[in-house]
Amino acid sequence: MKINKLYKGGWGVVLVLLSSISVVMPSVAKPVPSSAHMDIELILPNVVTSIYARPYVAVWIADTEGKSVRTIQLWVGKDEWLKDLRSWWRKVGRNDRAVVDAVTSATRPAGKYRFSWDGLDEQGERVEQGQYTFYVEVVREHGGRNYLRQKLQLAEQSFTHQLEPTQETGQITINYNVK
Amino acid sequence: MLNKKINVMVLTCSMLAGLTFASVANAHPRWVLPSHFTISKEGGDWLSFDVTASHGVFVFDKPAGSETAQIIMPDGRKQRPDFVLRGKRRSVFDFHFSEQGTHKVQINNQAGYFTSFKAGHRDTPKRLRANKVDRVALLPKEPRDVVTTETYTRAESYITVGKPSEKAFELEGKYLELLPVTHPSDIVADEPVRLQFYFNGEAQAGVKVDITREGTLYRNHQEQIDVVSDEQGFITFTPEVAGRYLLKASYKAKLVDSPLADQMSANVHFTFEAMLP
Repeated sequence: MKINKLYKGGWGVVLVLLSSISVVMPSVAKPVPSSAHMDIELILPNVVTSIYARPYVAVWIADTEGKSVRTIQLWVGKDEWLKDLRSWWRKVGRNDRAVVDAVTSATRPAGKYRFSWDGLDEQGERVEQGQYTFYVEVVREHGGRNYLRQKLQLAEQSFTHQLEPTQETGQITINYNVK
Repeated sequence: MLNKKINVMVLTCSMLAGLTFASVANAHPRWVLPSHFTISKEGGDWLSFDVTASHGVFVFDKPAGSETAQIIMPDGRKQRPDFVLRGKRRSVFDFHFSEQGTHKVQINNQAGYFTSFKAGHRDTPKRLRANKVDRVALLPKEPRDVVTTETYTRAESYITVGKPSEKAFELEGKYLELLPVTHPSDIVADEPVRLQFYFNGEAQAGVKVDITREGTLYRNHQEQIDVVSDEQGFITFTPEVAGRYLLKASYKAKLVDSPLADQMSANVHFTFEAMLP
Protein backbone atom coordinates (compact mmCIF):
# COMPACT_ATOMS: atom_id res chain seq x y z
CA MET A 1 0.00 0.00 0.00
CA LYS A 2 2.71 2.41 1.01
CA ILE A 3 4.81 1.49 -1.96
CA ASN A 4 1.84 2.05 -4.25
CA LYS A 5 1.35 5.58 -2.89
CA LEU A 6 4.95 6.44 -3.41
CA TYR A 7 4.77 5.02 -6.88
CA LYS A 8 1.74 7.19 -7.64
CA GLY A 9 3.39 10.25 -6.17
CA GLY A 10 6.47 9.58 -8.24
CA TRP A 11 4.45 9.51 -11.43
CA GLY A 12 2.80 12.74 -10.46
CA VAL A 13 6.18 14.45 -10.35
CA VAL A 14 7.15 13.00 -13.70
CA LEU A 15 3.86 14.14 -15.21
CA VAL A 16 4.35 17.68 -13.90
CA LEU A 17 7.86 17.71 -15.33
CA LEU A 18 6.69 16.42 -18.69
CA SER A 19 3.87 18.94 -18.93
CA SER A 20 6.18 21.85 -18.07
CA ILE A 21 8.63 20.69 -20.71
CA SER A 22 5.89 20.35 -23.31
CA VAL A 23 4.76 23.91 -22.54
CA VAL A 24 8.22 25.53 -22.51
CA MET A 25 10.11 23.69 -25.21
CA PRO A 26 8.18 24.67 -28.38
CA SER A 27 8.21 28.42 -27.65
CA VAL A 28 12.04 28.26 -27.29
CA ALA A 29 12.88 26.30 -30.40
CA LYS A 30 10.02 27.28 -32.72
CA PRO A 31 11.30 28.87 -35.93
CA VAL A 32 9.64 31.87 -37.51
CA PRO A 33 6.91 30.79 -39.98
CA SER A 34 8.22 29.81 -43.41
CA SER A 35 5.98 32.47 -44.94
CA ALA A 36 7.58 35.19 -42.79
CA HIS A 37 9.67 37.75 -44.58
CA MET A 38 10.79 41.26 -43.86
CA ASP A 39 10.59 43.99 -46.47
CA ILE A 40 12.78 47.00 -45.92
CA GLU A 41 12.55 50.35 -47.63
CA LEU A 42 15.55 52.61 -47.13
CA ILE A 43 16.06 56.11 -48.44
CA LEU A 44 19.53 57.58 -48.92
CA PRO A 45 18.98 61.34 -48.82
CA ASN A 46 20.33 63.86 -51.27
CA VAL A 47 23.19 65.60 -49.51
CA VAL A 48 24.47 68.84 -50.98
CA THR A 49 28.03 69.40 -49.80
CA SER A 50 31.50 70.37 -51.02
CA ILE A 51 32.75 66.83 -51.55
CA TYR A 52 30.10 64.15 -51.88
CA ALA A 53 30.89 60.45 -51.83
CA ARG A 54 28.31 57.69 -51.88
CA PRO A 55 27.85 56.35 -48.35
CA TYR A 56 28.89 52.94 -47.06
CA VAL A 57 25.84 51.05 -45.79
CA ALA A 58 25.43 47.94 -43.64
CA VAL A 59 22.07 46.46 -42.68
CA TRP A 60 21.99 43.48 -40.34
CA ILE A 61 19.96 41.56 -37.76
CA ALA A 62 21.40 40.45 -34.43
CA ASP A 63 20.09 38.43 -31.49
CA THR A 64 19.59 39.78 -27.96
CA GLU A 65 23.28 39.23 -27.17
CA GLY A 66 24.32 41.39 -30.11
CA LYS A 67 25.52 38.37 -32.11
CA SER A 68 24.85 38.86 -35.80
CA VAL A 69 22.28 36.54 -37.34
CA ARG A 70 22.40 37.82 -40.91
CA THR A 71 23.93 40.70 -42.83
CA ILE A 72 21.18 41.70 -45.25
CA GLN A 73 22.92 44.44 -47.24
CA LEU A 74 26.51 45.67 -47.43
CA TRP A 75 27.28 48.51 -49.84
CA VAL A 76 30.95 49.35 -49.69
CA GLY A 77 32.82 48.74 -52.90
CA LYS A 78 36.44 48.26 -51.81
CA ASP A 79 37.08 46.09 -48.75
CA GLU A 80 39.65 48.64 -47.54
CA TRP A 81 36.72 50.77 -46.35
CA LEU A 82 34.80 48.01 -44.56
CA LYS A 83 36.42 49.07 -41.28
CA ASP A 84 34.84 52.52 -41.60
CA LEU A 85 31.50 50.88 -40.84
CA ARG A 86 32.85 50.80 -37.28
CA SER A 87 30.11 48.86 -35.54
CA TRP A 88 29.35 46.44 -38.33
CA TRP A 89 33.06 45.68 -38.83
CA ARG A 90 33.71 45.07 -35.12
CA LYS A 91 30.57 43.04 -34.46
CA VAL A 92 30.23 41.17 -37.74
CA GLY A 93 32.62 41.72 -40.64
CA ARG A 94 36.02 41.08 -39.10
CA ASN A 95 34.89 37.73 -37.70
CA ASP A 96 33.65 36.19 -40.91
CA ARG A 97 35.25 36.92 -44.26
CA ALA A 98 32.83 34.54 -46.00
CA VAL A 99 29.87 36.70 -45.01
CA VAL A 100 31.63 39.75 -46.42
CA ASP A 101 32.37 38.06 -49.73
CA ALA A 102 28.82 36.69 -49.98
CA VAL A 103 26.95 39.92 -49.40
CA THR A 104 29.19 42.84 -50.39
CA SER A 105 28.15 45.07 -53.29
CA ALA A 106 28.80 48.50 -54.75
CA THR A 107 27.84 51.80 -53.12
CA ARG A 108 24.59 53.43 -54.26
CA PRO A 109 23.64 57.03 -55.06
CA ALA A 110 20.90 58.90 -53.20
CA GLY A 111 17.48 57.33 -53.76
CA LYS A 112 14.88 54.90 -52.49
CA TYR A 113 15.90 51.23 -52.10
CA ARG A 114 13.85 48.13 -51.38
CA PHE A 115 15.19 44.79 -50.25
CA SER A 116 13.94 41.93 -48.12
CA TRP A 117 15.07 39.31 -45.64
CA ASP A 118 13.83 35.73 -45.85
CA GLY A 119 14.12 34.93 -42.14
CA LEU A 120 17.20 32.74 -42.67
CA ASP A 121 20.50 33.11 -40.83
CA GLU A 122 23.96 33.02 -42.43
CA GLN A 123 23.89 29.21 -42.41
CA GLY A 124 20.54 29.13 -44.25
CA GLU A 125 18.57 28.02 -41.16
CA ARG A 126 15.24 29.65 -40.33
CA VAL A 127 15.76 31.73 -37.18
CA GLU A 128 13.90 30.94 -33.97
CA GLN A 129 11.04 33.13 -32.85
CA GLY A 130 12.02 35.75 -30.32
CA GLN A 131 13.52 39.18 -29.86
CA TYR A 132 16.06 40.55 -32.32
CA THR A 133 17.54 43.92 -33.24
CA PHE A 134 17.63 45.48 -36.68
CA TYR A 135 20.74 47.61 -37.34
CA VAL A 136 21.53 50.17 -40.03
CA GLU A 137 24.96 51.85 -40.15
CA VAL A 138 25.59 54.51 -42.77
CA VAL A 139 28.98 56.21 -43.09
CA ARG A 140 29.94 58.80 -45.68
CA GLU A 141 33.48 59.85 -46.52
CA HIS A 142 33.78 63.62 -45.90
CA GLY A 143 30.45 63.22 -44.13
CA GLY A 144 28.82 61.82 -41.06
CA ARG A 145 27.82 58.50 -39.60
CA ASN A 146 24.43 57.37 -38.38
CA TYR A 147 23.86 54.17 -36.49
CA LEU A 148 20.22 53.15 -36.08
CA ARG A 149 18.72 50.34 -34.05
CA GLN A 150 15.20 48.91 -33.87
CA LYS A 151 14.08 46.06 -31.60
CA LEU A 152 11.98 43.41 -33.35
CA GLN A 153 9.70 40.68 -32.00
CA LEU A 154 9.88 38.01 -34.68
CA ALA A 155 6.95 35.61 -34.18
CA GLU A 156 3.64 34.90 -35.93
CA GLN A 157 2.41 38.50 -35.87
CA SER A 158 3.05 40.88 -38.74
CA PHE A 159 4.24 44.38 -37.84
CA THR A 160 5.60 47.62 -39.30
CA HIS A 161 8.24 49.94 -37.88
CA GLN A 162 9.26 53.32 -39.22
CA LEU A 163 12.60 54.86 -38.34
CA GLU A 164 12.76 58.64 -38.45
CA PRO A 165 15.17 60.32 -40.88
CA THR A 166 18.68 61.24 -39.71
CA GLN A 167 21.42 63.24 -41.46
CA GLU A 168 22.64 60.25 -43.44
CA THR A 169 19.39 58.26 -43.73
CA GLY A 170 15.94 59.11 -45.00
CA GLN A 171 12.89 57.32 -43.67
CA ILE A 172 13.37 53.58 -43.13
CA THR A 173 10.35 51.28 -43.13
CA ILE A 174 10.49 47.73 -41.82
CA ASN A 175 7.58 45.47 -42.77
CA TYR A 176 7.45 42.02 -41.20
CA ASN A 177 4.85 39.92 -43.01
CA VAL A 178 3.43 36.57 -42.01
CA LYS A 179 0.77 35.22 -44.34
CA MET B 1 96.72 68.85 -12.47
CA LEU B 2 95.12 65.44 -12.28
CA ASN B 3 92.55 66.78 -9.86
CA LYS B 4 91.70 69.58 -12.24
CA LYS B 5 91.23 67.07 -15.06
CA ILE B 6 88.86 64.99 -13.01
CA ASN B 7 86.93 68.08 -12.02
CA VAL B 8 86.51 69.07 -15.65
CA MET B 9 85.43 65.53 -16.45
CA VAL B 10 82.83 65.52 -13.69
CA LEU B 11 81.56 68.87 -14.88
CA THR B 12 81.35 67.71 -18.49
CA CYS B 13 79.68 64.48 -17.46
CA SER B 14 77.14 66.21 -15.29
CA MET B 15 76.43 68.73 -18.05
CA LEU B 16 75.92 65.89 -20.48
CA ALA B 17 73.85 64.04 -17.92
CA GLY B 18 71.88 67.20 -17.39
CA LEU B 19 71.14 67.42 -21.07
CA THR B 20 70.34 63.75 -21.47
CA PHE B 21 68.32 63.48 -18.33
CA ALA B 22 66.28 66.56 -18.82
CA SER B 23 63.92 64.12 -20.48
CA VAL B 24 64.03 61.72 -17.55
CA ALA B 25 63.77 64.44 -14.95
CA ASN B 26 60.82 66.04 -16.70
CA ALA B 27 59.72 62.59 -17.84
CA HIS B 28 58.93 63.36 -21.46
CA PRO B 29 56.90 60.23 -22.09
CA ARG B 30 57.93 58.33 -25.20
CA TRP B 31 55.04 56.93 -27.21
CA VAL B 32 53.99 55.55 -30.58
CA LEU B 33 51.01 56.71 -32.62
CA PRO B 34 49.73 54.38 -35.37
CA SER B 35 48.05 55.90 -38.43
CA HIS B 36 45.29 53.27 -38.07
CA PHE B 37 44.48 50.53 -35.58
CA THR B 38 42.29 48.37 -37.82
CA ILE B 39 42.77 46.90 -41.30
CA SER B 40 39.95 45.41 -43.37
CA LYS B 41 41.68 45.38 -46.77
CA GLU B 42 42.10 41.89 -48.20
CA GLY B 43 45.80 41.17 -48.61
CA GLY B 44 46.71 43.70 -45.91
CA ASP B 45 47.80 47.31 -45.95
CA TRP B 46 50.61 49.73 -45.08
CA LEU B 47 50.44 51.61 -41.81
CA SER B 48 52.65 54.42 -40.59
CA PHE B 49 53.85 55.01 -37.01
CA ASP B 50 55.07 58.18 -35.35
CA VAL B 51 57.43 57.88 -32.39
CA THR B 52 58.27 60.84 -30.18
CA ALA B 53 58.69 61.88 -26.56
CA SER B 54 56.49 64.72 -25.38
CA HIS B 55 54.32 66.10 -22.61
CA GLY B 56 51.30 66.61 -24.85
CA VAL B 57 49.20 63.61 -25.82
CA PHE B 58 50.03 62.99 -29.47
CA VAL B 59 51.90 66.28 -29.84
CA PHE B 60 55.29 65.61 -31.43
CA ASP B 61 58.26 67.00 -29.53
CA LYS B 62 61.55 65.05 -29.09
CA PRO B 63 62.84 62.77 -31.85
CA ALA B 64 62.75 59.43 -30.02
CA GLY B 65 64.16 56.75 -32.31
CA SER B 66 62.34 53.94 -34.08
CA GLU B 67 65.44 51.85 -34.76
CA THR B 68 64.48 49.33 -32.09
CA ALA B 69 60.86 49.05 -33.24
CA GLN B 70 59.49 45.53 -33.50
CA ILE B 71 56.25 44.10 -34.77
CA ILE B 72 55.12 40.96 -32.99
CA MET B 73 53.13 39.02 -35.56
CA PRO B 74 49.88 37.15 -34.78
CA ASP B 75 51.88 33.89 -34.50
CA GLY B 76 54.37 35.43 -32.06
CA ARG B 77 57.41 35.89 -34.33
CA LYS B 78 59.11 39.27 -34.47
CA GLN B 79 59.60 41.50 -37.52
CA ARG B 80 61.44 44.76 -38.11
CA PRO B 81 59.80 47.81 -39.68
CA ASP B 82 60.28 48.34 -43.42
CA PHE B 83 61.16 52.04 -43.47
CA VAL B 84 62.55 54.14 -40.65
CA LEU B 85 63.16 57.88 -40.79
CA ARG B 86 64.25 60.26 -38.09
CA GLY B 87 63.20 63.89 -38.07
CA LYS B 88 63.76 66.65 -35.59
CA ARG B 89 60.53 66.19 -33.70
CA ARG B 90 59.71 62.53 -34.25
CA SER B 91 60.80 59.40 -35.98
CA VAL B 92 58.60 57.42 -38.35
CA PHE B 93 58.38 53.86 -39.53
CA ASP B 94 56.08 52.03 -41.91
CA PHE B 95 55.10 48.39 -41.99
CA HIS B 96 53.00 46.28 -44.33
CA PHE B 97 50.50 44.26 -42.31
CA SER B 98 49.31 41.26 -44.28
CA GLU B 99 48.69 38.48 -41.78
CA GLN B 100 45.27 38.05 -40.21
CA GLY B 101 45.10 38.66 -36.48
CA THR B 102 46.39 41.03 -33.83
CA HIS B 103 49.92 42.44 -34.01
CA LYS B 104 51.77 44.12 -31.16
CA VAL B 105 53.95 47.07 -32.12
CA GLN B 106 56.64 47.93 -29.59
CA ILE B 107 59.53 50.34 -29.30
CA ASN B 108 61.48 49.28 -26.22
CA ASN B 109 64.88 50.81 -25.69
CA GLN B 110 67.70 49.37 -23.58
CA ALA B 111 67.51 49.75 -19.82
CA GLY B 112 69.08 53.06 -18.71
CA TYR B 113 70.70 54.11 -15.44
CA PHE B 114 70.92 57.41 -13.66
CA THR B 115 72.28 58.35 -10.27
CA SER B 116 70.82 61.21 -8.29
CA PHE B 117 72.59 62.77 -5.34
CA LYS B 118 73.05 65.96 -3.38
CA ALA B 119 76.33 67.85 -3.20
CA GLY B 120 77.85 71.18 -2.22
CA HIS B 121 77.04 73.48 0.70
CA ARG B 122 73.51 74.00 -0.49
CA ASP B 123 72.65 70.31 -0.99
CA THR B 124 72.04 70.94 -4.67
CA PRO B 125 70.25 67.95 -6.27
CA LYS B 126 72.28 66.53 -9.16
CA ARG B 127 72.11 63.67 -11.61
CA LEU B 128 74.64 61.51 -13.38
CA ARG B 129 74.12 59.13 -16.21
CA ALA B 130 75.80 56.26 -14.41
CA ASN B 131 75.05 52.93 -12.78
CA LYS B 132 76.31 51.85 -9.34
CA VAL B 133 79.64 50.66 -10.73
CA ASP B 134 80.39 53.68 -12.91
CA ARG B 135 79.17 56.23 -10.39
CA VAL B 136 82.13 55.57 -8.08
CA ALA B 137 84.53 57.37 -10.41
CA LEU B 138 82.10 60.19 -11.18
CA LEU B 139 80.61 61.24 -7.85
CA PRO B 140 82.17 64.26 -6.08
CA LYS B 141 83.57 64.02 -2.57
CA GLU B 142 81.00 63.44 0.17
CA PRO B 143 77.87 63.12 -1.95
CA ARG B 144 74.64 62.72 -0.01
CA ASP B 145 71.44 60.75 -0.71
CA VAL B 146 73.00 58.80 -3.56
CA VAL B 147 70.41 56.67 -5.36
CA THR B 148 70.87 54.87 -8.67
CA THR B 149 67.73 54.13 -10.66
CA GLU B 150 67.36 51.68 -13.53
CA THR B 151 64.71 52.85 -16.01
CA TYR B 152 62.91 50.89 -18.68
CA THR B 153 60.00 52.14 -20.77
CA ARG B 154 57.87 50.21 -23.21
CA ALA B 155 56.03 52.17 -25.89
CA GLU B 156 53.42 49.94 -27.50
CA SER B 157 50.18 49.58 -29.41
CA TYR B 158 48.12 46.89 -31.14
CA ILE B 159 47.03 46.56 -34.77
CA THR B 160 44.35 44.12 -35.84
CA VAL B 161 43.93 42.76 -39.38
CA GLY B 162 40.56 41.05 -39.84
CA LYS B 163 39.71 38.72 -36.98
CA PRO B 164 41.38 39.59 -33.64
CA SER B 165 43.79 37.14 -31.96
CA GLU B 166 45.73 37.04 -28.68
CA LYS B 167 49.03 35.25 -29.26
CA ALA B 168 50.89 38.58 -29.58
CA PHE B 169 49.89 39.44 -25.98
CA GLU B 170 52.44 36.96 -24.57
CA LEU B 171 54.63 38.53 -21.89
CA GLU B 172 58.43 38.56 -21.72
CA GLY B 173 58.42 38.30 -17.92
CA LYS B 174 60.69 41.35 -17.62
CA TYR B 175 60.13 44.82 -16.19
CA LEU B 176 56.62 46.25 -16.22
CA GLU B 177 54.22 44.71 -18.75
CA LEU B 178 50.61 45.16 -19.76
CA LEU B 179 48.35 42.21 -20.53
CA PRO B 180 45.10 43.18 -22.26
CA VAL B 181 41.99 41.58 -20.77
CA THR B 182 39.63 43.67 -22.88
CA HIS B 183 41.00 43.12 -26.38
CA PRO B 184 42.49 46.42 -27.67
CA SER B 185 40.32 46.14 -30.80
CA ASP B 186 37.21 45.93 -28.59
CA ILE B 187 37.72 49.17 -26.69
CA VAL B 188 34.53 51.18 -27.18
CA ALA B 189 33.51 54.54 -25.74
CA ASP B 190 31.35 54.20 -22.61
CA GLU B 191 32.24 50.54 -22.08
CA PRO B 192 34.57 49.40 -19.27
CA VAL B 193 38.13 48.40 -20.19
CA ARG B 194 40.02 45.85 -18.10
CA LEU B 195 43.81 45.42 -18.24
CA GLN B 196 46.35 43.62 -16.08
CA PHE B 197 49.88 44.61 -15.09
CA TYR B 198 52.84 42.37 -14.44
CA PHE B 199 56.24 43.18 -12.98
CA ASN B 200 59.05 40.70 -13.74
CA GLY B 201 56.43 38.12 -14.71
CA GLU B 202 54.26 38.46 -11.59
CA ALA B 203 50.87 40.19 -11.38
CA GLN B 204 51.63 43.52 -9.72
CA ALA B 205 49.54 45.59 -7.33
CA GLY B 206 50.11 49.33 -6.94
CA VAL B 207 50.94 50.19 -10.55
CA LYS B 208 50.02 53.84 -11.09
CA VAL B 209 48.17 54.46 -14.34
CA ASP B 210 46.91 57.61 -16.01
CA ILE B 211 44.88 57.65 -19.21
CA THR B 212 44.43 60.76 -21.34
CA ARG B 213 42.54 61.36 -24.55
CA GLU B 214 44.29 63.31 -27.30
CA GLY B 215 43.58 66.99 -27.88
CA THR B 216 44.49 68.41 -24.46
CA LEU B 217 45.57 71.64 -26.20
CA TYR B 218 41.98 72.27 -27.22
CA ARG B 219 40.21 71.78 -23.92
CA ASN B 220 40.55 73.43 -20.53
CA HIS B 221 40.82 70.27 -18.47
CA GLN B 222 43.06 67.26 -18.97
CA GLU B 223 40.13 64.91 -18.33
CA GLN B 224 42.70 62.39 -17.18
CA ILE B 225 41.63 59.08 -15.67
CA ASP B 226 43.81 57.94 -12.72
CA VAL B 227 43.75 54.36 -11.49
CA VAL B 228 45.99 52.03 -9.47
CA SER B 229 46.23 48.29 -10.08
CA ASP B 230 44.60 46.01 -7.49
CA GLU B 231 46.04 42.94 -5.71
CA GLN B 232 45.91 40.87 -8.92
CA GLY B 233 47.33 43.68 -11.03
CA PHE B 234 44.00 44.60 -12.65
CA ILE B 235 42.74 48.04 -13.55
CA THR B 236 39.28 48.93 -14.88
CA PHE B 237 38.29 52.25 -16.39
CA THR B 238 35.74 53.61 -18.85
CA PRO B 239 36.76 55.95 -21.67
CA GLU B 240 33.68 58.13 -21.98
CA VAL B 241 34.48 59.62 -25.36
CA ALA B 242 35.58 57.90 -28.59
CA GLY B 243 39.09 58.85 -29.65
CA ARG B 244 42.77 58.04 -29.33
CA TYR B 245 44.19 57.64 -25.84
CA LEU B 246 47.62 57.39 -24.24
CA LEU B 247 47.86 55.18 -21.16
CA LYS B 248 50.94 55.72 -18.98
CA ALA B 249 51.66 53.11 -16.34
CA SER B 250 54.56 53.33 -13.92
CA TYR B 251 55.92 51.20 -11.13
CA LYS B 252 58.88 51.78 -8.83
CA ALA B 253 60.53 48.98 -6.91
CA LYS B 254 63.56 48.66 -4.62
CA LEU B 255 66.26 46.46 -6.09
CA VAL B 256 67.86 44.34 -3.39
CA ASP B 257 70.52 42.32 -5.17
CA SER B 258 71.27 44.36 -8.28
CA PRO B 259 74.96 45.32 -8.62
CA LEU B 260 73.98 48.19 -10.94
CA ALA B 261 71.03 49.99 -9.32
CA ASP B 262 69.25 50.63 -6.02
CA GLN B 263 65.78 50.94 -7.49
CA MET B 264 63.79 50.31 -10.64
CA SER B 265 61.48 52.69 -12.45
CA ALA B 266 59.52 50.77 -15.08
CA ASN B 267 56.94 52.19 -17.44
CA VAL B 268 54.47 51.10 -20.09
CA HIS B 269 53.10 53.68 -22.52
CA PHE B 270 50.20 52.12 -24.37
CA THR B 271 48.37 53.86 -27.23
CA PHE B 272 44.82 52.77 -28.09
CA GLU B 273 41.63 53.96 -29.69
CA ALA B 274 38.19 53.91 -28.12
CA MET B 275 35.76 53.39 -30.98
CA LEU B 276 32.33 54.89 -31.46
CA PRO B 277 29.65 52.63 -29.98
